[in-house]
Amino acid sequence: MGDYRGLNVRRDRGGCCPPMDLMRSEAMQLVRIIVPVESAHLTLSYLGDLGLFQFKDLNADKSPFQRTYANQIKRCGEMARKLRLFREQMAKAGIAHSEMAMTQTRIDFDEMEIKLGELEAELIEVNSNNEKLQRSYNELLEYMLVLKKAGEFFYSAQSSATAQHREIEARQIGDGSIDSPLLLEQEMLTDPSKQVKLGFVSGLVPKEKAMAFERILFRATRGNMYLRQAAVDDPVIDPISGEKIAKNVFVVFYSGERAKTKILKICEAFGANRYPFTDDIGKQMQMISEVSGKITELKTTIDLGMLHRDNILKNISYQFEQWNNLVRTEKAIYHTLNMLSLDVTKKCLVAEGWSPVFATSQIQDALQRATYDSNSQVGSIFQVLHTKESPPTYFQTNKFTSAFQEIVDAYGIAKYQEANPGVYTIITFPFLFAVMFGDWGHGMCLLLATLMLIFREKKLSSQKLGDIMEMMFGGRYVIMMMALFSIYTGLIYNEFFSVPFEMFGRSAYACRDPSCRDATTDGLVKVREAYPFGVDPKWHGSRTELPFLNSLKMKMSILLGVAQMNLGIILSYFNAKFFSNSLNTWYQFIPQLIFLNSLFGYLSLLIIVKWCTGSQADLYHVMIYMFLSPTDDLGENQLFPGQKTLQLVLLLLALISVPWMLFPKPILLRKQHNERHQGQSYTVIHNTEESLEIEEDHDSHDHEEFEFSEVFVHQLIHTIEFVLGAVSNTASYLRLWALSLAHSELSSVFYEKVLLLAWGFNNIAILIIGIVVFVCATIGVLLVMETLSAFLHALRLHWVEFQNKFYEGDGYKFAPFSFALLADEED
Amino acid sequence: MGFLMTTIIFFVAGVVASVLVRLCCNRGPSTNLFHLTLVITATVCCWMMWAIVYLAQLKPLIVPILSEGE
Repeated sequence: MGDYRGLNVRRDRGGCCPPMDLMRSEAMQLVRIIVPVESAHLTLSYLGDLGLFQFKDLNADKSPFQRTYANQIKRCGEMARKLRLFREQMAKAGIAHSEMAMTQTRIDFDEMEIKLGELEAELIEVNSNNEKLQRSYNELLEYMLVLKKAGEFFYSAQSSATAQHREIEARQIGDGSIDSPLLLEQEMLTDPSKQVKLGFVSGLVPKEKAMAFERILFRATRGNMYLRQAAVDDPVIDPISGEKIAKNVFVVFYSGERAKTKILKICEAFGANRYPFTDDIGKQMQMISEVSGKITELKTTIDLGMLHRDNILKNISYQFEQWNNLVRTEKAIYHTLNMLSLDVTKKCLVAEGWSPVFATSQIQDALQRATYDSNSQVGSIFQVLHTKESPPTYFQTNKFTSAFQEIVDAYGIAKYQEANPGVYTIITFPFLFAVMFGDWGHGMCLLLATLMLIFREKKLSSQKLGDIMEMMFGGRYVIMMMALFSIYTGLIYNEFFSVPFEMFGRSAYACRDPSCRDATTDGLVKVREAYPFGVDPKWHGSRTELPFLNSLKMKMSILLGVAQMNLGIILSYFNAKFFSNSLNTWYQFIPQLIFLNSLFGYLSLLIIVKWCTGSQADLYHVMIYMFLSPTDDLGENQLFPGQKTLQLVLLLLALISVPWMLFPKPILLRKQHNERHQGQSYTVIHNTEESLEIEEDHDSHDHEEFEFSEVFVHQLIHTIEFVLGAVSNTASYLRLWALSLAHSELSSVFYEKVLLLAWGFNNIAILIIGIVVFVCATIGVLLVMETLSAFLHALRLHWVEFQNKFYEGDGYKFAPFSFALLADEED
Repeated sequence: MGFLMTTIIFFVAGVVASVLVRLCCNRGPSTNLFHLTLVITATVCCWMMWAIVYLAQLKPLIVPILSEGE
């Protein structure tokens, strides 16, 4: 509540500090634009080009069909459908549409609609013709197959029949005088008047149905039929479905009309295509030549048809992108026009929406241009409205900062003009990542990979990449910063693929005596000043390496964590100052700062003092007994004189700051509310209508009930969250230690157990295998998996531990009406 | 090369970097302030990291004890 009041004050004062890019979201204003109907379309088109105006939907209560421009949107949808059809056809024909629009001439919307309709009709006609031709072509092909195969049946059957015939004849001649028992049969064969004429049907049936087909035929005719089948070698294209199917050529012989009808029906049911056939060989030959002639004829016709279609599609492809853009923008314009409310006179449209303050002149200019270009008699009216509504959040980012802002936005969009953690995230995020990923060899690999993306930026940004590549490419600058910082922290940790180098001067440690006898028992001695930059190389591989690094990294995590949390609390001060909220400064920022620093700031101090003095004091013991028995003597754990008094003071401060955070703010808020209310009841003296109107406006907002219990519970939750959070968040920073330890251990395992082991065999083949395994493990585990996990942990440290100190993140993003954004969305 | 000396080097490096950024890309006061913030944050982070490691080795409680193999 206080924040909104502060927001109004800010308009007069303009914040607390000199303005900084990205720190505060752009100042926004609610604007009302009144546009004459005749220039509305052009106005929106110019505003869409500008892309700095977010329209509010003023017709939210109307369904899409009730709106003014529903018809136009329908037309656009129809055109989009046609364009999709063209795109499909082009893809089928393998014609790529040119990315660049050929001519930048402005095309008329209506003209285009007509043209698209014509093209669609033409294309559909050509397609259906082609389909018909294709179908008869396939039919002819099948017919040809039937002619050939069935011809073979008949030929073989006939030759065997004539052979039989001859045999019988020969037998007849041989024993013609004897009354043979075969007489009956003989008579039947020879007497043409008694011969039953056998009919036959020929055609093609799908191979998989052939068995069932035969069975059904057999049953239906009660066995009074004869079926011959032959498989076709290559699958044929079915003329009806247009698919390639393996088929059998069949010939069914039957007798009688009833059998014929039955067989015809069965053929239909099985999708068997029938083709006429004659048993006369002469006619067969004639038909074959006829059909093959037809086939070649059809082939040329089909080719011509295809060429014609390709020509049409090519013509479309030149302009396709342009049309597509136009339809998309038109649709967006009409969609937005539907958000405007129609004036009572129906002569002008009223638009309301948000725009950044800096864009005022640009928008006014666009409005003027639109009025001029559309020859409108009346100009548009631009009017800034005052409102209590919270404006959208808009950060102007560039290609470098946008990825970092995305990281913050993924947690929550900043409240209007609150301090943006993105400013610090740009450095602290890659830095915390690098603390966990400290190895300058791995950092260099990462840097090379991301530099490749950055150098090919222009080429890659126009391409369509895969999901993962897209993410890598979007975060290329984040990865670059991460790589740079990991090179730095790698130098500090003195690790290059886990190998230390003595780069910054000589090691501080040396053997006690020239023989170096007790180096493995008592250890080395410090002979010089500490190693000037980073971890001393002598630690590597020593037995005390882990205890030393663990203690160092654990303390470092706490120091870095306390520093970052303090930064977060300080940012909450800048927020309070910016929104002129002195309550937050005095009753939230100060006690929070005191609480955190009297406990964990003190711990940090102890750590540093312990390092500087080389004291043996046990810090756990000091911290724990600071709470359990603060008055006890510290004994050997005393680090500096007056420590006990300091501890008592700090403990007291911490204890005081908890109720300080909890009670005053809700009480003072109630007091303020009551005062404001009383003030109001006295000040309604103005009688002019204008002031009454304002008063009404004012009232509607201020008369919200002030629920003390609600505010108090809110503050209670906030306090508990902070007090408990101070402990758990500090502990959470220990993940820096854990992950960095895991990384260095893993990389040293890969180096020692793979590379050095393979080297030890003195065998080229084993060495090559070892190198391959080492490279794969380094890339797969250390560069990909470890990068991901360190990234996630750095993300968490920012989202939770850093941002919960000051960031509300309950704003909403500025979503301007912009053609440029529209194109991105489509892809 | 004591603690103070290196700290001064870090400080000078930070100042040089901010001056360079100011000279190379001067894009109005608010952007310059933004760049300055970035440089300062980066310098402080790097200095803290170095200082922590340096201080930890100033008066070590344990010394490296070499492994048996070496």
